[in-house]
Amino acid sequence: MRNPIALLRRRWSDSDDVRTDGGTVDSGQSFWNRDSVRSAPFWLPPFLLVGLFVYGAILWNIVLSLTDFQGLGSPDYSNLDFENYLAALADPIDGLLSVLPFVNGGAVEARSPSWAQLSVEPIWNSAWNTVVLMVGFTVVCLALGLALAILVDHKIRYENTFRTIYLLPMSLSFVVTAKFWLYMYNVETGLINVVITSLGFGAVEIVQNPDLKLPAVAFALVWQFSGYAMIVYLAGLRAIPTSHFEAARIDGASTLRMYRRVVLPQLRTATVSALVVLTVFALKAFDFLFSMYSGYQPGPSADILATRMVREAYANQNWAYGSTIAVVLFVMALFIVTPYIYSQYQRGEL
Amino acid sequence: MSQPTATDDQTGTETGLLAGYTLRRITLYVVLLVMAVFYLVPIETGLMTSFTDPDSYTGQAPFLPPLEPLIPGSGTFSAQPWTNAFDILGQGLVNSLILVVPATVLSGLLGSMAAYGLTNVDWRGQVGIYMLFVAGIFIPYQAVLVPLTQFWYNVVPLRTTFVPVAEVLPFIHAYHWKLVALIVTHVAYGLPICTLLFRAHYKKLSDEMLEAARLDGASISRIYRRIVLPLSIPMFAVVFIYQFTQIWNDLLFALTIVQFGDAAVVTQDLVGLGVSQSGTNFPLRMAGALVAALPTLVVYVFFGDKFARGVAA
Amino acid sequence: MSKDNKGKRFSRRTVLMGAGAAGAAGLAGCIGGDDSNDGGNNSDGDGTGNQSGDGSGGSSGDMQPIQLLHAWSSGDGNAAIGALIEGFQEAHPDVEFGEEPVNGAARGNLDQVISNRLQSNDPPSTFQTWPGKTLQKFGDAYESIEEDVWTDDLTNNYLEGPKTQAQLDGTFVTVPLNIHRINNLFYNVSVVEEAGVDPTSLSSPADVVSACQQISDNTDAVPFAQQTSGTWSTTQLWETVLLAQAGIDGYESFINGEGDKAQVQSALENVVELSEFYPGDSSSIDFTEANTMVMEGDAAFIHQGDWAAGAYRGKDGFNYGEQWNQVTYPGTSGSYLLNMDSFPYFANNPSPEATKTFLSYCGTAEAQVLFNAEKGSIPPRGDADVSQLDTFQQDQYDDFNNADNQPPSIQHGLAVVPAIKTNIDAAFSGFLENYDAATTAQELVDSFK
Repeated sequence: MRNPIALLRRRWSDSDDVRTDGGTVDSGQSFWNRDSVRSAPFWLPPFLLVGLFVYGAILWNIVLSLTDFQGLGSPDYSNLDFENYLAALADPIDGLLSVLPFVNGGAVEARSPSWAQLSVEPIWNSAWNTVVLMVGFTVVCLALGLALAILVDHKIRYENTFRTIYLLPMSLSFVVTAKFWLYMYNVETGLINVVITSLGFGAVEIVQNPDLKLPAVAFALVWQFSGYAMIVYLAGLRAIPTSHFEAARIDGASTLRMYRRVVLPQLRTATVSALVVLTVFALKAFDFLFSMYSGYQPGPSADILATRMVREAYANQNWAYGSTIAVVLFVMALFIVTPYIYSQYQRGEL
Repeated sequence: MSQPTATDDQTGTETGLLAGYTLRRITLYVVLLVMAVFYLVPIETGLMTSFTDPDSYTGQAPFLPPLEPLIPGSGTFSAQPWTNAFDILGQGLVNSLILVVPATVLSGLLGSMAAYGLTNVDWRGQVGIYMLFVAGIFIPYQAVLVPLTQFWYNVVPLRTTFVPVAEVLPFIHAYHWKLVALIVTHVAYGLPICTLLFRAHYKKLSDEMLEAARLDGASISRIYRRIVLPLSIPMFAVVFIYQFTQIWNDLLFALTIVQFGDAAVVTQDLVGLGVSQSGTNFPLRMAGALVAALPTLVVYVFFGDKFARGVAA
Repeated sequence: MSKDNKGKRFSRRTVLMGAGAAGAAGLAGCIGGDDSNDGGNNSDGDGTGNQSGDGSGGSSGDMQPIQLLHAWSSGDGNAAIGALIEGFQEAHPDVEFGEEPVNGAARGNLDQVISNRLQSNDPPSTFQTWPGKTLQKFGDAYESIEEDVWTDDLTNNYLEGPKTQAQLDGTFVTVPLNIHRINNLFYNVSVVEEAGVDPTSLSSPADVVSACQQISDNTDAVPFAQQTSGTWSTTQLWETVLLAQAGIDGYESFINGEGDKAQVQSALENVVELSEFYPGDSSSIDFTEANTMVMEGDAAFIHQGDWAAGAYRGKDGFNYGEQWNQVTYPGTSGSYLLNMDSFPYFANNPSPEATKTFLSYCGTAEAQVLFNAEKGSIPPRGDADVSQLDTFQQDQYDDFNNADNQPPSIQHGLAVVPAIKTNIDAAFSGFLENYDAATTAQELVDSFK
C-alpha cells in the first residue's frame, strides 16, 4: 500500500489511548474500545438502512422469484422451486446462439411453468439488448466526454458557461427528452435526417428501424449524460502534473501520442468514477424507452430486461416471473460490480 | 486549479505560426459552440413549444418561436400552457420539495458519516462492509419494486402510527406518511453512491492533519466535526446536486410507494399531463415538463460550477 | 375536447369541498389559485378521510365513502367523470364520495395502483377498467353484482354485446359506462373530393388501398394518417381489417384462439399495403399529430376510435358533415367494434352499500347520457335519450342500435386476456420493425399458446 494513511490507520487501530469521549480507561482491546465499535455511530446506521432496504429487498425478491405469485393476495411461500428460472433461461445454448451476432441461431422454444396458462418467452433477447445498450452507452459516453473535456481544457473563455450548458440535459426528465428525440429522429423534419440528407445520403428511418433502434436510444442517453463524463474527465486532466506534459514534449511526442501515452493512463481513476455513475444512469434506460415507445413494448430489437420485467409483472400479473427477470438483471449487475470491486481491492483503492 | 494544459504546451511548439494558432482557436470555439447548440436545442424546442397556443400547434417545426403571422406554421404565442401547468402541478411541486430536501440532506450526511467511519478510522472488516455499500450502487430499481410495496404497505405499520400523530401536529397531514416512506427509501438507495463519492474524497485528506488532531487527543467524532466535515463542503455540493437531481426526477419509486393521491410528487403528475384519449396537448406537456424541471435547471445553472469544482476536488 | 383542459382537474379534495352541490364551474374555480391553494386542499384532505381506506373511522352516516379510482385526470375524460359524479350526487346527496384521479393518464399506471392495493388486501370501491377479458386480470378480486345492480332494467336494456362484456365467466361483475367505436374511417371532405374519391362507395379494405393510391396520385396530401411509434394504432387497424375480411365468424375464431393463419396474414398484408400511404415520419409522430394532419387538410383518411372526433369537435370551422366525415370502416358494416370503460365491484368492498348505489346509477340511461355527452362516446344502453348528444354521436348511436353484432376490440382489452394481449402487442412491436406479414401472422396465432 503506497497510501501513507494506512500507516496511521494501523497505529490508530492498535492504540489504547484514553479518548476524551471514550470513557473507558481500559488499556486492553475491550469491545467498546475497538475502532470498529467506536466508529460504529458513523457507519452502522447507514449500513443498517442499506442492509434492510437494498439487501433485504433483494433477498425477498429472490424468494418471490421461487414462488408462483400472480399478484392477488399474499404470495404462497410454502412451495418454492426453480421453474421460473428454467423458463426464463430455457435452452441456455440455443438461447445464447439465438442472440449472438453472426451466429443466427434459430428461435428458442418457449416453456410453460406450472402456474401459467400461456407459455412464457425466455429472456435471451432482452438480456442481450440490455448488455448491448449498457456497453454501447457507457463506451460512447466516456469517449464523447473525454473529447469534450480535452477541448474545454484549452484555457477557453466562458469555460464555466460551456461546462454548464454541456451538463444541462442531465437535469431534464425523460418525458421531455423522449419526446424531443422522437422529433430529432423524424424522417422528414428531424435534425438528424436533415444533416444526413444534406450530406447527400437518403433519409433514414430510425425510430422503428430494427437495426438503429437500440443505437438511437443509446445515443439519446449519451446526449443526456455525456456532460457528466466531461466534468469528471476535465477534473482528471487538471490533476495531471504539468511536468508530465513537459517531459513528453521534450521527448518530441506528437499531440496524439502524448494523449495516448501520457494522458490516458492517468485518467484511469476518472474513468472508473465516471463509469460507476454512468452505469447507474444506464440502468434507468427503462424510463426513456417507456416514454419513447409510449408503453413497455419497444419492440424486439429494443426490448431490455427492465421493460420485460415490468411487462410481466404489471401487464400480465406474472409477479413471480417478473421477480425472476429482476434477479437475472441483478446478477448481470453483479458482473459489473465484481470486477470493479476486485480491481479496486487489488489496487488498494477500496 | 487551472494549470497549463496539454494543448497549450503543444501550441507552444508551433511558435510563430500565429495564423495557424488563431485558426485552431477559431475551430476550437466553433466546435464548442456547435456542441453547445447540440446540448441546448431540446431545451429551446421545449421552451418554444410551451409558449404555443395548443390549438395552433402542428408539430412541424417545434423549435421555431411561436409567432404565427410572422413565421408561418409555427403556431400562435400563448402563455396559457405555463399558467395551466403551474395550476395543475402546484401540489406536486410542494410534495416534491417536501420529499427532496430532507432526502437529499439525509443521504448526503449519512453518506459522509459512513464514508468517514469506513475510511479515516481503520479497522478490520471495513472493506467488507464497504463492498456491500459499493455493490448497492448497481442494484436495478426494478429488482426491488415488489418487496418495497409489500414492505411499506403490509409490513411496517408506518401508516397507522403516523396518522394519529399527524392529527395532533400542525401542517402535517395524514397522507404525508407516504412521503416519509419515500424519503427513507430514497435515503437508503442513495446512500451507496453518496458513500462512494465521499470516500474517494476522504482518502485524499491530509494524513498529517488527522494525525496531529489525534495526537492532540481529539475523539473520532470530534475529528469528524472539526476537520473532516468542513473539508467536505465541496463534496457536499457534488452529492447534494447529484441526489437532488436523482430524487427530483425519480418516477419509479414514487409510483411504487406514493402510488397516487394527495402525496403524489411532480413527476407523477407530469406523466399524464395533457394526455387524453382525443389527443395530446404538447404545449401543456412541455410547459409542465419545464415547470417540473425548473428546480433542477436552477440548481445546475447556479451551482453547476460548484458541482464541477467538487468533482475536481 | 382535450385541448381546453384549462387546469380543470377534478380531484377528491375538490369534490368533497363542494359536498354534492358543486358544479363543474365552481370546481374549476377551486383549483384556480395555483400554489396558494395547496394549503386549502391539504386541510380538506385532512378532515375528510385519508386515502387507502385508513379513514374509515371518520366518516359520517351508515354508508362508507366511495373510493373511486380512475385515470381521467384531464381533458374530456375528466369533464365526463365530473358530470357523472355531479349527477350522482344530485340524485344521492347522502352518499359520500371520494373520487381519486390516479395521476397519469396511462392506464397501466392505474392498474399498477390497483394491483398494489389488492396485494395489501385493501381494494378500493371501484375503478375505471376495460370490461370483457380484461376482468380476468384481477378476476378473483371481483364479486357478483347480479342481484343488486344487474336488475331487469339493466339486463333488458343493454344490448347483447355490451352485456356479454360485463360478465366475468358468466357472472355480472361490472357496469359498462360508454362505448367508443373502433371501426371508423374518418376523412377530410375537401381532400377526398379533390382526389375524386367517394368514401361511401368503398366496400372492402382493398378499396381503401385503391382510394389511397388515387389520393396519392391526385393530391399532395398524405392518404392515410397513422402513427407507428406505439403499437396500439396498428393493432386496432389490423383488427378492423380482420373483421372486414374474415367477417364476424373469422374474427371470433381468432379471439377464441382458433384463428386461421391465412386470414390473419391476409389482414396484415392489407395493413402492409396501407403503410405505403402513411406519413413518411409516422414513427416519430403520435396520434394527435396524425389527427391534426387530417384537420389541417394535410391528410385524407385516419382510422381511429371515435375519440378522434373529440378533437374535431373543438376546432372552429371544422364541422361534421361539412369539413370532416366518417364512414364505417369499409367491409365492416353491420358490426360495431366495441371499446368500453366500466366500473367493477370489488369483493371485500370498503363501502358495499354506497358502491352498489353508485354502480346502479351508472347503469341508468340518464347517467350514461351525462357521461357520454362529455366523453364523445355513446351509452351502452339501447334506450337512452340521445337528443343531448351531438349529431355525430347520434348517428353512431343509430348505427349501434342497428348493428348485427357488437364484437369486442382486441387492442382495447375486451376480446383477450391481458397475457394474450401482451403477446399480441409484442407481435405488433415486431411487425412495426419489419412489416413481415407471414412471421407476424404466426406470432399472432401463437399468442394464444
